[in-house]
Amino acid sequence: MLRHVTRKAAGWLLMIAVATNATYFLASWFLDPRSNYQGQRPVRSEAQIDLALAPYNLDPRVPVVHRWWDWVTSVVLRFDWGKSPTGVSVNGEIGYRSLVSAELVVIATVLSVVVGVALGVYTASRQYGWADRVSQAVSIVVFNIPASVIALAVVFVAIWLNQHAGLHFLYVAGENSPNVQGLLPTIGDRLLHLILPTLTLTLMGYVGYHLTQRSLLLDTLNADFVRTAQATGLTRAQAIRRHALRTALIPTATSVAFSVPAIFTGAIITETIFGWNGMGRYFVQTISKNDVHGTVATAAFAAALTAIGAILADIATVFLDPRVRVS
Amino acid sequence: MTSDQTTDAPAPSPLGHVPPAALLPVPRDKRHIGLGRLYLRRFLRNRLAIAGVVILLLLLLFSSFGGLFTSYSYSDADFAALTQPPGAEHWFGTNQGGNDIYASAVHGLQRSLAIAVSVSVLTLVLAAVIGSGAAYFGGRVEKATLAVIHFLLIVPSFLILALVSHRLAGDWRVLIVVLTVFGWMSTARVIWSVSTSLRERDYVTAAEFMGVRPLRIIVRHIIPNLGSLLIVNLTLGVVATVLSETALSFLGFGVQTPDVSLGTMLAAGAGTVTSAPWLFAFPAGLVVLLTVSMTFIGDGLRDALDPTSVTGAAGGRR
Repeated sequence: MLRHVTRKAAGWLLMIAVATNATYFLASWFLDPRSNYQGQRPVRSEAQIDLALAPYNLDPRVPVVHRWWDWVTSVVLRFDWGKSPTGVSVNGEIGYRSLVSAELVVIATVLSVVVGVALGVYTASRQYGWADRVSQAVSIVVFNIPASVIALAVVFVAIWLNQHAGLHFLYVAGENSPNVQGLLPTIGDRLLHLILPTLTLTLMGYVGYHLTQRSLLLDTLNADFVRTAQATGLTRAQAIRRHALRTALIPTATSVAFSVPAIFTGAIITETIFGWNGMGRYFVQTISKNDVHGTVATAAFAAALTAIGAILADIATVFLDPRVRVS
Repeated sequence: MTSDQTTDAPAPSPLGHVPPAALLPVPRDKRHIGLGRLYLRRFLRNRLAIAGVVILLLLLLFSSFGGLFTSYSYSDADFAALTQPPGAEHWFGTNQGGNDIYASAVHGLQRSLAIAVSVSVLTLVLAAVIGSGAAYFGGRVEKATLAVIHFLLIVPSFLILALVSHRLAGDWRVLIVVLTVFGWMSTARVIWSVSTSLRERDYVTAAEFMGVRPLRIIVRHIIPNLGSLLIVNLTLGVVATVLSETALSFLGFGVQTPDVSLGTMLAAGAGTVTSAPWLFAFPAGLVVLLTVSMTFIGDGLRDALDPTSVTGAAGGRR
């Protein structure tokens, strides 16, 4: 089992490396760091701009392979992700931001899986009942609403609630309030700010798990081994939980890895709308500012999140699927 | 040229000559018509699918002829009416620059539909060729293709999409190319997994023994037998494209400002959700109607075309 997980983890590490380097070349080709200096007064010549970019390893006159080699060695040896075209260190930016985003994405992923699977199990065992039909309809509609519309609808409802119900604990901007002192108030404040963005991301994420888990479980519910389990004296609920669900969970567990990129995309929009200074918003800013190194660091972060999701999914599969443990 | 003709010419003749005497008499034609009617009956049994078709038709009418009912164009600015709520003069209100939201919505829906339909068709063609090609050739080609697909699926492709379209976009036709290049993978994977079983069918083996070239086998024998899957994926592809287009345009990486799509309208209305909700509500409503109706149609088509499908309302109610 340990060997299985280690081998998979090595594969993912390779994937992160390839993805990050590919993004480096794409970013070098498609982003133009010189644009940061072109609007300045006094006007600088092309050569002056190139000279200004040279200390940050962004000089367009140096072949891209040379720049890449310098960048790779500094990342591998000193974990230094480089500087933006205006000289701001990328490491300084991503240290705080990656924590903010990871918090958001991890909590939302876990909540989505729990809510989605629970709903899937509940509705599959009551197929075509009213709860099944209602939740199915809601999920299909939510599944088709763009992330930005969901997020703004959540903002709209939250502001309405704040105004009409006298609730003032729903925050629609930022990840914390200024001027909060002490450990406990800080934690409480951050949790309150976390409510709405997490709700938004969970709304986007749970639907896939609900719909797939429902159909997967429907496939196994009428299998012979579930009937046998009931014949041995288990109640229907026990038979579903211990036998049918266990088999039906395996594909869901493996699909977690594939859903992390979608959740991160959702996080980009959620962070933009809720004004969180996380990696998603950083990504939008770095692309608009033609910041090659910042963009690549975000891509590496997203790939790392995907890999973490995948490794967790692999561990879950090992526990759920006896065939993996045997081989 | 001549070698093409010599290899091409004999291929259709054995296929055309051997079966017709035995297998292609009149009854087959009758059954074919019956099948079409069966599909239609199964589709019409699904009430949600009918609702989807009706909504989609209304949206198409709105986007093609809606512009006739207003004297404003999406690019006109009415400086006498800035940020007006919906009223008699401006049916959907105006934005901060005095642009008529009704006219913008008509134009934006047109733009989003054009992007969605062309990307969906292009992606499907690409995915069908790559997916069934990988399945047919097997071996190393299959392994390499799957590795590329898995890699692109796991890589945060949205980030790369944003990166590339930031530089190139502004023109919606470029956006179509970019969305196609990064959007074919998941469909190709589904098509591959279904094609692996088609590869083993007798008619493929028979064509191989007759010396039909691989490309021709893929185009003439494998892809037609994926028909229902392809049609369903076409509708779902439209939904997926609308979602990515709105996301990209919302962040400013898709359609750019003088031009208008539903995504740019959402972005423009995002800042005034409480003070001027109509800026946001109309494009949001149109997007949701579009995607939900396409999903209902896709589900209806799946139930109608796929005899083994047991999901959906049609199977449950009857």
